[in-house]
Amino acid sequence: MDFGPYLFAASLEGAITAAVLALTAVGLSLVFGVMRVVNVAHGEFYMLGAVLAWWITSMIAGHPALGFWVAIVVAPLIVGALAMLCDRFILNKINYDPERTIVATIGLLYVIQQSTLMTFGPEARPVEAPFNERIALPWLEPTNAGLQVIWPTGLSTTSYKLFVIAAAVTILLILWLVMTRTRIGLIMRATQLDQEMAQAHGIDVNKVYALVFGLGAALAALGAVLVVPIQQAYYLMGSDPLLLSFIVVIIGGLGSVLGTVVAAVLIGMTDGIVSVFFTPTLAKILATLLVAFVLIFKPNGLFGKRRE
Amino acid sequence: MLTINKIDVAYDQVQVLFELSLSVSRGEILCLLGRNGAGKTTTLKSIMGLLPLRAGRIEFDGEPLNELAAHLVPTKGIAYVPQGRRLFSELSVQQNMEIGLMTSGAGKETKDYALSLFPRLQERLKQRAETLSGGEQQMLAMARAICTKPEVILLDEPTEGLQPSMTSLIRDVIVQMKQQNVAVILVEQHVDAVLSIADRVTFIEHGTNADTVQAAQLQENPSLIQQYLGV
Repeated sequence: MDFGPYLFAASLEGAITAAVLALTAVGLSLVFGVMRVVNVAHGEFYMLGAVLAWWITSMIAGHPALGFWVAIVVAPLIVGALAMLCDRFILNKINYDPERTIVATIGLLYVIQQSTLMTFGPEARPVEAPFNERIALPWLEPTNAGLQVIWPTGLSTTSYKLFVIAAAVTILLILWLVMTRTRIGLIMRATQLDQEMAQAHGIDVNKVYALVFGLGAALAALGAVLVVPIQQAYYLMGSDPLLLSFIVVIIGGLGSVLGTVVAAVLIGMTDGIVSVFFTPTLAKILATLLVAFVLIFKPNGLFGKRRE
Repeated sequence: MLTINKIDVAYDQVQVLFELSLSVSRGEILCLLGRNGAGKTTTLKSIMGLLPLRAGRIEFDGEPLNELAAHLVPTKGIAYVPQGRRLFSELSVQQNMEIGLMTSGAGKETKDYALSLFPRLQERLKQRAETLSGGEQQMLAMARAICTKPEVILLDEPTEGLQPSMTSLIRDVIVQMKQQNVAVILVEQHVDAVLSIADRVTFIEHGTNADTVQAAQLQENPSLIQQYLGV
C-alpha cells in the first residue's frame, strides 16, 4: 500500500484510540475539575467496565449483539454505582483532602484490580462485536485526468470501528448538552467554580460529588465497553488508559473538558499513527515528552486556567 | 428572629470568635463594625453554616440553624453576599441568577423584581459574570441573593471598591429590602456610609461583641467609633 492510504488507515486507528481516550479522560477531568480529586483508580473503573462487559455478554444466551447492548447500558451503571459508593464511604470520609484522596484511590486501585483477579481470573477475555462487517475504503489518487477514486488493496476498516468513533462523539455531545443546557449541569459547573458559594446557594455539594465521581467512572466504563470487542478484557488493562488519561488531562488543562477532548484527539491520533508506523512504545514516549513540554512552557495546560 | 448566642468558632486550631452574641429582627439593619481580623466575616460565614461552631447556638425563628447542613441554611431564607462578590465567574448573569432562584424555588417574578432593582443587568443577561465591571458584579451578587427570596440577608462589604454612584445604588437597595421587612446584617468598613441607613451597630473586637448601640446614638456621639476602630 502507498504511503497516503497507509497514513489514512493509521489515522483511522488513531481516531478509535482518540474516541475511547476522550471518553475515559473526560471522566477523569470532570472528577478533578469539580471535586479536585486526583483519581488514581480511574483506570480500574475502565478495566471493570470491560470485564463486566465480558461477564454480561457471557451470561446472556442468543445473538452476541443482545449481550453487547445489555452490557453497554448495564456495565457503566454498575461501575458508576460502585464509584458512588466509594465516594460515599471513602472520599467523603476523608473530607476530599487532596493528599489523602491520592493515597485512598491508590488503595482503591489495588482493591478493584485484585478483587477482579480473584473473581474473574487472570485470562484475557474476548467480547464479540454486535456487528463487524469489513468496509473497503476509497482513496483519492491524483492522475493526469485529475483526482480519481481508487480502492487500494488492504485499505479497509470495520463497521464496528466506525461505530465506536460515532458512539464516542455522540456521548461527548450529549455530555456537553447536559453540562451546558440542563439544571444538573448548571449545578455541577457552579460547584466546580466555587464549592463554598454553591453550598451558600442551597447546593448539596456532597450529592454533586457523588454524582460526578459516579459519572466519571461510568464514562471510563463506557469507553471500555466500546473498546472491548476490539481489544480484550483482563484485570491489568487499566494502567495504559490511566496513564494516557492523565497525559491528556494535563495537556488539555486540569478540569477543562474542552481541553481534554482536544488533547485526547491529539494524543489518540499520535498514538494510533505512531503505533502503526513504528511501535506503541515510541507512541507512549512521545506522549510523555509532550506532557513534559506542556508542563514547562504552559503549566496550566492548553486550555487550563490558573487557579487561585 | 435571627439570634446568635455565645458562639465560639475556629479555623482549625486558631479560635476566632469567642462567645459572640447578637440578634437582628425583621425590617432591621444591623451593622457590624470592627477592625480587620476582628471576626466580622467569620460571623457571617458561621451563620451560613460554612464554619462549624465549637460552642453556642444560632437560631432563626426558634429553629437551630447550626444543626443544619450548610446547604440547608439558605433554604431557610438566609442569603449571603460575600466579600469580593464570589460570583460563578464562568456562568452568565442569567445562570448566576438561576442558581439563586433554585435555592428558593422562586419563579420569574422574583427574577424580574431583582432585575427591576438593577436594570443594567437586564442588558447583560447572556454575558459571563467575569466580564462585568466591578459595580455590575456587585449588582449581580445582590441580585443573586435577592433571587433566593431572603428573610435575612448578610452583606459583607457590599460597597468595597465601588464608585460613589454605585455605592448609593447599593445603599438604596438595602433600604428597600429593609422596607420589605427583610433583616439585614451589614459588614462595612466605611462607617459614614452605613450610619445613615443602619438601625443598630454592633462593634466586634477580638472575636466578640464589644458593644451594641443605636445608630442614631452613634451619630451623636462618635467617640465609640474612635474607641473601637481607631478612626
